[in-house]
Amino acid sequence: MQIQVRLYATFRIGRFNEQTRDYPPGTRISKVLEDLEIDESLIGTAFIDFKYATLDRELHEGARLGIFPKVGGG
Amino acid sequence: MPTLSSNEIYSRQILFRGIGEEGQQKLQNSRVAIVGCGATGSVIASLLARAGVGFLRIIDRDYVEPSNLQRQILFDEDDAAKFIPKAVAAAKRLSACNSNVKVESQVADLTPHNVESLLADCTLIMDGTDNFETRYLINDFAIAKNIPWIYTAAIGSIGVTMNILPGETACMACMFPDSPNGAMETCETFGILNAAVAGIGASASSEALKFLTGAKALMRRTLLTEDVWWTDRAELPAEAQRADCRCCVRREFTHLSGENRPHIALCGSNSVQIHEKTRTIDLAELEQRLLPHGTVRCNGFALRFWRGPYQLTIFPDGRAIIKGTTDVGVARSLYARFLGA
Ligand SMILES: [Zn+2]
Repeated sequence: MQIQVRLYATFRIGRFNEQTRDYPPGTRISKVLEDLEIDESLIGTAFIDFKYATLDRELHEGARLGIFPKVGGG
Repeated sequence: MPTLSSNEIYSRQILFRGIGEEGQQKLQNSRVAIVGCGATGSVIASLLARAGVGFLRIIDRDYVEPSNLQRQILFDEDDAAKFIPKAVAAAKRLSACNSNVKVESQVADLTPHNVESLLADCTLIMDGTDNFETRYLINDFAIAKNIPWIYTAAIGSIGVTMNILPGETACMACMFPDSPNGAMETCETFGILNAAVAGIGASASSEALKFLTGAKALMRRTLLTEDVWWTDRAELPAEAQRADCRCCVRREFTHLSGENRPHIALCGSNSVQIHEKTRTIDLAELEQRLLPHGTVRCNGFALRFWRGPYQLTIFPDGRAIIKGTTDVGVARSLYARFLGA
């Protein structure tokens, strides 16, 4: 299945803004993070189709996955 | 010094149709707390003071250092040389910019103990902090008391901001649920561009002006991120509460009750802050006592003591920032040795 990944803020740097990726059905968000070498402890929130999703959520065909870091500097 | 009439100062802003005479009067009657006056806090405080927000309370626990000057636009070299507390330096600069605004400085760490007295009498809270421990505390307080607040942060070339309107939008704990081992990139590892700070601070300030002039309906209900270098701008919906949100749904205000709050915290890349109990310290007396043990300087607001590779900055409320170590044990032992346990 194909999913559309959108990275936000610092997660884009050295990676990409938006990318279509291929995964077997049943893939969870945490697997995508692992492939992108994004440390789970840096995650602010994940969205599937612009709704909050926990990292153990399964993705569906055509899902739009958004990953946003905790940005803290001030 | 002559005080300029507010008509002269605000004439161009009053001409702006979103503000007008009525909006300007509302700003003059407003009370805003700014928690943290580093990079984002400096921008926000500066814009709100010049816009004529009648009362500003600047809360900051830190002092000015040379590495701040690249982006913390309220401070100058003299402030850094004299390690003036940021809240004090900011209040002085802001009052000089606009004497129609009352600026109160609070050299303090926002804690569950003082949050009520520092924030309850303000109609809006602006986030200028650099850490989530303080943001979750602001969030718990704001949701519990129904006071809007605006989250603002910057790192590298990126800024992020979100309006938290209790009962109308997501809260900070909806967007970023607390995680026990929550890590994040810091300006020490990622660096920081002053333009990223200025841009996002300006966005947050205009949201504040909308709220204070009664244009709440125009406020952004998204999480906004902007990158001023590798150009990007995105907004994510922030209207919906998270179904099981600890703070705004379950109303468990764990940060307000101070559960598990450490009294010792790493701050920056090479410092430890110790504030285990509030005590009043006579800086002049301490200066005399420390003289035989190292180099001591006092600026009236804080005392600085150099001992070997360590630098202790001590505040009148008993708080100390120990630079030169990230070892909590070393910091605690220095504190105990020179200030008493
Ligand atoms: Zn919430």
